[in-house]
Amino acid sequence: MEDIVQRKTGDRIELISFRIGDQEFCVDIMAVREIRGWTPATSLPQAPSFVKGVINLRGAVLPIVDLAARMGMAVTEPSERHVIIVTRICDQQVGLLVDAVCDIITVETGSIQQTPDLACDVVKTFVKGLLAMEGRMISLISLDNVLPTLEIEASGAETASILAA
Amino acid sequence: MDPLAAIKVTFFQECEEQLAELEGGLLAMEGGDHDPEIVNAVFRAVHSIKGGAGAFSLEALVRFSHVFETALDLIRGGDIQADQETLKLLLRSADVLADHVRAARDGGVVDEGRSSAMAEALEALASGMGGGGEADTGDGFDDFVFNPVSIDMSDAPAPADDSVAALLASITGGDADGGAGEADAPASDDAPSQTWHVRFYPQVGLYQKANEAGLLLRELGRLGEVAVRLDASGLPLLQNMNPEDAYLGWSADLTGPGIEESAIREVFEWVEGDCYLDIVREGAAPPVAQASGVDAVGDVDVMALIRAAQAAEVPAAAAAAPTAPARASAEAKATAEPAKAKEAALDAKAQAAAREASPQTIRVDLERVDRLIDLVGELVINQAMLTQRVAECGLQRASSVAMGLDDLEQLTREIQDSVMAIRAQPVKSVFQRFPRLVREIAAMTGKEVRLIMDGEGTEVDKTVIERLSDPLTHMIRNAIDHGLETPEEREAAGKPREGVVRLAALHRSGRIVIEISDDGRGINRPRVKQIAVDKGLISPEANLSDDEIDNLIFMAGFSTAATVSDISGRGVGMDVVRRSIQSLGGRINISSRPGQGSTFTLSLPLTLAVLDGMVVTVAGQTLVAPLTAIIESLQPKACDVRNLGPNAQVIAIRDTHVPLIDIGRSLGYRTVTPPPTEGVALLVEGEGGSRAALMVDAIQGQRQVVIKSLEANYRPVPGIAAATILGDGRVALILDIDAVMVPKPHEGGGAIAAPANGGLDTVGAPTSLAKVG
Repeated sequence: MEDIVQRKTGDRIELISFRIGDQEFCVDIMAVREIRGWTPATSLPQAPSFVKGVINLRGAVLPIVDLAARMGMAVTEPSERHVIIVTRICDQQVGLLVDAVCDIITVETGSIQQTPDLACDVVKTFVKGLLAMEGRMISLISLDNVLPTLEIEASGAETASILAA
Repeated sequence: MDPLAAIKVTFFQECEEQLAELEGGLLAMEGGDHDPEIVNAVFRAVHSIKGGAGAFSLEALVRFSHVFETALDLIRGGDIQADQETLKLLLRSADVLADHVRAARDGGVVDEGRSSAMAEALEALASGMGGGGEADTGDGFDDFVFNPVSIDMSDAPAPADDSVAALLASITGGDADGGAGEADAPASDDAPSQTWHVRFYPQVGLYQKANEAGLLLRELGRLGEVAVRLDASGLPLLQNMNPEDAYLGWSADLTGPGIEESAIREVFEWVEGDCYLDIVREGAAPPVAQASGVDAVGDVDVMALIRAAQAAEVPAAAAAAPTAPARASAEAKATAEPAKAKEAALDAKAQAAAREASPQTIRVDLERVDRLIDLVGELVINQAMLTQRVAECGLQRASSVAMGLDDLEQLTREIQDSVMAIRAQPVKSVFQRFPRLVREIAAMTGKEVRLIMDGEGTEVDKTVIERLSDPLTHMIRNAIDHGLETPEEREAAGKPREGVVRLAALHRSGRIVIEISDDGRGINRPRVKQIAVDKGLISPEANLSDDEIDNLIFMAGFSTAATVSDISGRGVGMDVVRRSIQSLGGRINISSRPGQGSTFTLSLPLTLAVLDGMVVTVAGQTLVAPLTAIIESLQPKACDVRNLGPNAQVIAIRDTHVPLIDIGRSLGYRTVTPPPTEGVALLVEGEGGSRAALMVDAIQGQRQVVIKSLEANYRPVPGIAAATILGDGRVALILDIDAVMVPKPHEGGGAIAAPANGGLDTVGAPTSLAKVG
């Protein structure tokens, strides 16, 4: 994802924008495999609070990450209206639970603004840049840190709650 | 991969097969089987390796296989008696040859000393006894003299199976009796024997690939009476001669009954393209050119079959197995031309054996098979989902849709079984390494060992096979190093000097069972117990049954060897073996009788892709418990459940107390355990035979499930072995029984001495030990 920011000015990239609560976010469309409706997930024991569980994606076991909870916002109570964005992160497929998918937007890489220096760790971890579109602000999300790595697995849940504070 | 490299890969794959055949043949000979076909097969194996190695310029391999081949050829010709000593030498040579092949493949180095010592021994064998001036004493062609001789076939080894001889004789007889009348095809001959003119002009490439014209011509001589003439007309003057070029040619007249062009071509199979070859039958109208050989072969073949059928009167029986009348009528003829009949019989037998031994196969990339298995797994899931949806629609079971679905289910299962069968391989591929291992360990320990293998054809999934090799190797080492006594000790105990290690595989109720047994001293129980006490593995006052003592050897940190030897006992013990077997979903048991030996029994699933599971409900979640771990399920009675300590419970099952573990709580699905009487307890056996009762809310049923990895897209989850997809399309988690039984994982070892809360929380703790705490 960091590549997007580093690309030459003038390059155009396509992004998929989605909504969590009252905020808008977007990810590189190349990382998105498909978009599907919410199906009940099988919860995993001893999983961080932002891992909703796993679902069956045509025979593969797909973990679902509640992106709102992951970024320290309120835990989502998923309903039929919620959406799963199936993304590919490194060699793994991960489903991101979001409120709704908005749009496909095409922007020039040059128009991506640097994230302002905030004290918030969540912003530093996940937000790689900001886009101004028709008076709205859309945050460009980096997917690299969405899944908990093995090192922080034990404290995964705590990390999320600390970030929320 | 460039074509040459691809061919090379195939060559090495074939080498492995040839090596296996070589070793198998030598072992059969050592076992007293003197079938000439086995000797031939052994020779062919080495010869093929040499031929291929020559093509790839693998010098060391060619050199060694050449020496080996020479010795084998003398045995084949009966110049050397294949006694036990010789066979031991040959077996060791086969090991060295295998080393050479592997070194050539992986770029490693061969133990030069061992290799050259073996080569010298082989040469000594060949020159010592086979000094008959055979053609294969040198690499080049220029130092051997080939005398055109008629080879006397009367000293050919007697055929082991005289019914084949009879059949062949009957074929010959049929020709003589009424061949003229019956055989009306244009290719018919009016004499029982036919003569072939073979012209054979090697080109330089033939010699470069380490083939020898002399051997080929002698091979030709095995088909019938042969008169060979050397054609030296191409030989230039000495000063013009290139010592590495090929100038000589031979023409041979081959006479004998039932010789087919295909048989002649087979002799020259390896040198095709490296020689000019011309095969013409005497009296055949148009000379059969090399290129059009296929048609001619077809003709002859058909004619031979027709004649065989007519002569034997009962065509089907004659083709399948010779019947008594055919044999009787043929006997007189057989005595008339015994030598020829025998030779022909041998030939036919060789061909039959070749046909039998090589069923049609193709090589397929494993990835493709795995992909197919994945897809079939998804098909099974989809089919189950569809069935469930149809059932939800309220359709009658007798409706055509439901019946169609039943058929689909049958088909799906058959497809699944067939695809699984593709991956299945005979355990032979693992077993065949062990004769060598046994020889080496026997040599190292100075013990005399005979390895008996049984059920090598038993098939099991490839992944299981791959992961069986290490544990089996370890157990065989143990059996020889610890199990068997020295020859002197054995004699003193009134046993034969030679110890027997038996390795057997069989299918039993959908699993593969492998037994490793020895007839050694058995487990020294007092010593085992003493060691366990010394190492703090059990408390000194623990009262253990014989069975429990035997099972102590599976505990971590246990090694009975008084001295750490080179062969076994280098820190990894039977606990590692047990763990690797269990990671395959298998179990291991030991039974031992002092003075009579020990038997280890492994029971393993046939495949790792599917699992028989018990589908259960816990705290609203659907989970799958591996059926292999479950001993029984029961409804706990309030009076059987007892509290032990502040927050642990045990349940009495037939007078033994096992810990009662609530799955819902240990997986963190709930914090309050419901009363045990409202649920179902699964009595399970985990690592090391420890038992526990797992509380679940309800049992849904038994089902075969396709194992799906959680790690592929996520990461390992404690307490969960894998995932699967059930008929409703939802993911269900497969329990890791051992992890669930150990609520707070910590280092195993000293835990038994002080079991925490009565919990059975260590690796390899026999059941009764838990009660000590």
